[in-house]
Amino acid sequence: MGTATVAPPEHVPPGSAPAGRRPALRRDGRYAGIFLAPSLVGLALFTLFPTAMALGISLFDWPVFGERKFLGWDNYSHLLSDPVFRRVVLNTALFVLLYVPLNVVISLGLAVWLGPAIKGRQAFRVLFFIPVMTPMVANVMVWRLLFQPGGLLDSGMQTWFGIDAPNFLGSSNWAMPAIVAMSVWQGFGYNFLVFSAALDQVPQSQLESAQIDGAGPLQRFRYVTWPMITPSLFFATTMTLITSFQVFAQPFILTQGGPGVSTQTIVMYVYNQGWQFLTMGLASAAGWVLFVIIMGITAIQFFGQKRWVHYDV
Amino acid sequence: MNGTRVRTRRRLVAAAAVLALGILSACGGGNDAGGESGSADKADLTWQFWVGGTEDQAAWQKVADQAHTDHAGITVKLQGTDWNSYWSKIGTLLASGKAPCIIGMQSLRTASYAGAMLPLDDLMSKYGLKAEDFDKPIMDGLKVDGKQIAIPYDSGPMVIFYNRDAFKAAGVADPKPGWTMDEFKAAAKKLTAAGKTGLVTTPGDLGVTSWVRTLTGAEPLADGKLNLTDPKFVEGFQGWADFVRTDKIAPQVPSGATDFETTQFTSGKAAMQLNGPWSLIDTKGKVKFKLGVAPIPAGPDGSKTYTAGSGFGIARSCKTPDAAFQAIMSMTSEKPLTTLAAAGRAYPARTAAHPAWFTAAGIDGAKETLDYASENSIPLVTSKNWVKVSDLLTRFGTQALNGEVPPDQALKTIQDQAGAGS
Repeated sequence: MGTATVAPPEHVPPGSAPAGRRPALRRDGRYAGIFLAPSLVGLALFTLFPTAMALGISLFDWPVFGERKFLGWDNYSHLLSDPVFRRVVLNTALFVLLYVPLNVVISLGLAVWLGPAIKGRQAFRVLFFIPVMTPMVANVMVWRLLFQPGGLLDSGMQTWFGIDAPNFLGSSNWAMPAIVAMSVWQGFGYNFLVFSAALDQVPQSQLESAQIDGAGPLQRFRYVTWPMITPSLFFATTMTLITSFQVFAQPFILTQGGPGVSTQTIVMYVYNQGWQFLTMGLASAAGWVLFVIIMGITAIQFFGQKRWVHYDV
Repeated sequence: MNGTRVRTRRRLVAAAAVLALGILSACGGGNDAGGESGSADKADLTWQFWVGGTEDQAAWQKVADQAHTDHAGITVKLQGTDWNSYWSKIGTLLASGKAPCIIGMQSLRTASYAGAMLPLDDLMSKYGLKAEDFDKPIMDGLKVDGKQIAIPYDSGPMVIFYNRDAFKAAGVADPKPGWTMDEFKAAAKKLTAAGKTGLVTTPGDLGVTSWVRTLTGAEPLADGKLNLTDPKFVEGFQGWADFVRTDKIAPQVPSGATDFETTQFTSGKAAMQLNGPWSLIDTKGKVKFKLGVAPIPAGPDGSKTYTAGSGFGIARSCKTPDAAFQAIMSMTSEKPLTTLAAAGRAYPARTAAHPAWFTAAGIDGAKETLDYASENSIPLVTSKNWVKVSDLLTRFGTQALNGEVPPDQALKTIQDQAGAGS
């Protein structure tokens, strides 16, 4: 409704502006309401209601069947004191810290490298986007064949160097890097496309005038290209950060969160508590913890963007 | 102007009402199978069960059709779901009170879902279903607190599958019922060479507990409570983990690869695995070598293993339990089980259907081995929180096998995390 606009002045008789404007405003508001209703009802039913409901459930011992018991904040205090959940939060943070910078650097690096002058650029774009389009399950299956004992990496290392490869998916130290590697390969194509599009928008004339003024390639990138692509960078980092906090499919299929809980993430924890162990209260509480973390970090990003994102170049 | 506003408002309200109704009806348009109505002899029933694909679905629908053949007024419609999403699906269905009347149930999960299932003992005596016509271990395995929760269609004790060609090539004699743990390890050591291993083992609940039981006789529960830190259980668990850690007769395992054990064995990279007869005929079809089957090696107190299996039960919310029970009686009767056995599916829970299954299997010594293993097996009785125990066992068992965590510490973590969980 905030989008209601003031009616054009020619419909307003002279001298009666305040009285004439109000019905027009109201009418516009009403029509905006009609047009927004379907999505608002959808948002309320399928997003706001479940979110509030989850907060309610998180205050209960809520088995899928059996008696429900009000617990207050006990589920939350249980989560905070549970070494497994703390490890799960750390795992998620570790994944985000490794995945987001790698993803952004690689996708931006490749987008810059495949700048306008390169031949076969479209073919590369398609090539890099293929992993994004293929189903995650299929991707993970292939990577598992690479990683597992006796797999491609292991037998390759035995043939060439005569040594066994680490048990990537069975070692607590290697499992998370293996998941990050697979995820970066799978996910960078999307940001690559976003950055490629942003780079295409940088006016050639400005780059050329900077060149004439004596700016080298690095300076041109730093002072001309970079400010112009910051809105895309902001979009890409924000979205990648949010989705990487919600990482589920890769560890779920590749390691099932193991060995131990070394690759279990918050969403996997929610899934296991809710749909495997049928304890909805604890699952909802963990879901809310994740929600608050993502909200907090996204808020920080939005406030921080003023310092480095340029919309008016 | 005023009239227009009123009309617009009315239209708005009407539009909102239509929208809301539409959404509500869309939400309410779910499965209303709990509303199945009818009498003892006349009912249209729905049966929720795990299936592996369209071929599987067709085979099981034939089993369902047996109910209609026997009782003209009863029809059973199969609703198939794949194994992985089956349990969360029936969890929510049972919780909402809208579960179909007939529910597929696996023995290891019976304790977790028993609260929403109808005990069948009264119906068994009413309709004259004889418990002794079925394998005893699996009948017992589908009981919770002494009450029968489901009627089994398949069963089976855990046994060793082995690669006969590999045994022959390594000059190792075929194992016979009664072979000892020392003989097993000697054979496995001989078979471990040139990138291949004598055994492959992963931390699945049924496999691990069977190994522990034969190694030390310890069981995972004591008086219905989880008892994994019992010294005897720790000793057995350590012995199992040592197959990988110190004996080096089995490979390290990756985390989360549920098919790793089976693929290592079927591809010929490992010469033995512990498995259930429900997989035997399927495995025989996959492998390029001659498949053999032997009992689990005997520990100090002889060969001891666990039995698991599955059956069909009735949801408490079912309005026509009599009709549902008669349908289950038909579905677990000799005819459909024999048909399934002859088609090479699960090892039937009815002893009368066994000969058809052994003919279909066509593996020398299978009958001798399975009879021996059945005699030495008991059902694996589980706790209500077994799904969690099993999940934790997979996680921390992997670390124990790969030598990342001492086995006793892994068990302590599982016990602490799962709680006693009676």
